[in-house]
Amino acid sequence: MEWINPYHLQVASFVLINVILGTSIYVTLSTGQLSLGNAGFMSIGAYAAALLATKYALPIPVGVAAGALLAGAAGALVGIPSLRLSGVYLAIATLGFGEVIRAVAINWESLTGGAVGIAAIPQMGRVVLAGARDLGFSPASLGLKPNQFISLTVFLILLVAAVLTVAFFLRLGRSRVGRAYAAIRLDERAAEASGIPVTYYKVLAFSQGAMVSGLAGALYAHATSFISPADFTYHRAVEILVFAVFGGSGHILGPAFGAAFLTVVPEALRAISHYRYILYGVLVVLVVIYRPQGVIDPPLLRRMRGDRAAEAA
Amino acid sequence: MFLEQLINGVTLGSIYAIVALGYTLVFGVLDIINMAHGEIFMFGAFVGMLLVSKAGVPLPVAFLGAIAVTGAMGFLLERAALRPLRSRPGASNLASLISTIGVSILLENAAHRIFGAGNHPFETPFAEIRFPVGPVNVYLVQVLILLISLLLMAGLALWLSRTRGGKALRATAEDLTTAGLLGVDTDRMITVTVVIASAMGGVAGVLIGMAFNYINNQIGLSMGLKGLAIIIFGGMGSVYGAMAGGLILGLSETFVVAYGSSGYRDAIAFVIIIGVLLVRPQGLFGQAAPGTGH
Repeated sequence: MEWINPYHLQVASFVLINVILGTSIYVTLSTGQLSLGNAGFMSIGAYAAALLATKYALPIPVGVAAGALLAGAAGALVGIPSLRLSGVYLAIATLGFGEVIRAVAINWESLTGGAVGIAAIPQMGRVVLAGARDLGFSPASLGLKPNQFISLTVFLILLVAAVLTVAFFLRLGRSRVGRAYAAIRLDERAAEASGIPVTYYKVLAFSQGAMVSGLAGALYAHATSFISPADFTYHRAVEILVFAVFGGSGHILGPAFGAAFLTVVPEALRAISHYRYILYGVLVVLVVIYRPQGVIDPPLLRRMRGDRAAEAA
Repeated sequence: MFLEQLINGVTLGSIYAIVALGYTLVFGVLDIINMAHGEIFMFGAFVGMLLVSKAGVPLPVAFLGAIAVTGAMGFLLERAALRPLRSRPGASNLASLISTIGVSILLENAAHRIFGAGNHPFETPFAEIRFPVGPVNVYLVQVLILLISLLLMAGLALWLSRTRGGKALRATAEDLTTAGLLGVDTDRMITVTVVIASAMGGVAGVLIGMAFNYINNQIGLSMGLKGLAIIIFGGMGSVYGAMAGGLILGLSETFVVAYGSSGYRDAIAFVIIIGVLLVRPQGLFGQAAPGTGH
């Protein structure tokens, strides 16, 4: 089992967290709303999960669920008043929300640990290993070293979370809700005229996006075992946006592809990693100009499936 | 104490106002938010720092240098990231928001590569000169900042209201298509606007260096976010709203730090915009409701 490399698994784990984050911005974008507050919602999920685990010693799944739900509730709270806004106004208001959350995280030292953050958050891989050992299991029986087992466990948990998240929204896209989202994105007034409760669905999408961000944040806290306000800055919000812009926001696989590609490539090409963000900037401008729908769009997916008849129709 | 804080607040606020004017000019004409404005401002500050602290040239030359560099950056920004989107039918103003975010990522990290992450001292030869005015001491730097800002704002207001170029710009802002039909070279007006706005950002960059005596590669982001807050507060595209909003933000930050907690200083701007967006979304001086008509 020498080929199981903790470093590769760690990169893969970050890919999966970023895929979840890419999904979170996709959900709000699928109603035509651009939110730059996902880093803020992510931090709500991360802090809630970390505090519940460190201060109240609650089990990790409970904390992760609570973090996601709390972020979703915050999303609904922010979403309802923000519906009066659209386009760039919404983008800036949500950006402002993220910055306010970060200022609170820095200044509410008694709760959040201030700028230093929260350390020693139970790491999910270690927790699983400890639990397995109590049951008399040893990773050596699988031919794994303990650190290989830990990294592999984190990866597998995140894989399940990412696949479930993407699958949920794939399914949602084919449901009444997903069709309502698409109608709102195409033409809000026409959607309203055809009897779709636009306000309800926009708040729902906003809240779902926030909840998925919160989930990613909570998983991030338990994967890295350390969080600080520096993890949830404006740059994080922009990075999430770049996943969707580069990968494409017309289909859920777009942001997922963007997240995976933009996480792996800088790791694989060490030489360019110093210029990573400079390249991000160039990439964003080029994509917006030459392929505004992003790399992945529904026609491309249909071609890849070889479903030429559907495209011709 | 109160008077000194008042002076500090007005000085800071006048710099904010100039940054916000850069945003508001571009928004007024193009209906887009130039997210790279903060980073252009930062490059202005760095050019000023290099010229004043490293090359030792007189301050006016530093201003000219910063104006030249940031003006050129504005020109390139317009050509590379805005014009290609304009020619494409159906491109929303979110597309240009995102492409300017791309430019801002590029510039911020380029500055990080070129200048490093630390603070750079911005030394002006007269930083310590001050004189008593009534009960308080006023620094010469503060007077200079205020003077330059007022001149810049007055110049801009005069140019917009009294000259042919200003009229063409206002016409373009009012209605791009109609202005074009009436013979205004709108593409040229847009370039002129972005260049002027960027050059104002460059001036503001030098002013902030003079005010704080140091700069780093983070000031673009923090100032950019504050500039956004101000134009939301003052009303998008409103020149006088940007001026008033800048002063109000400068004063409230100064007084919150003086009499309250310094930790929340950078959050004030956002608390203000969230409040304004909810209560009066068109801003203090704005007219059209946001989200309609664009």
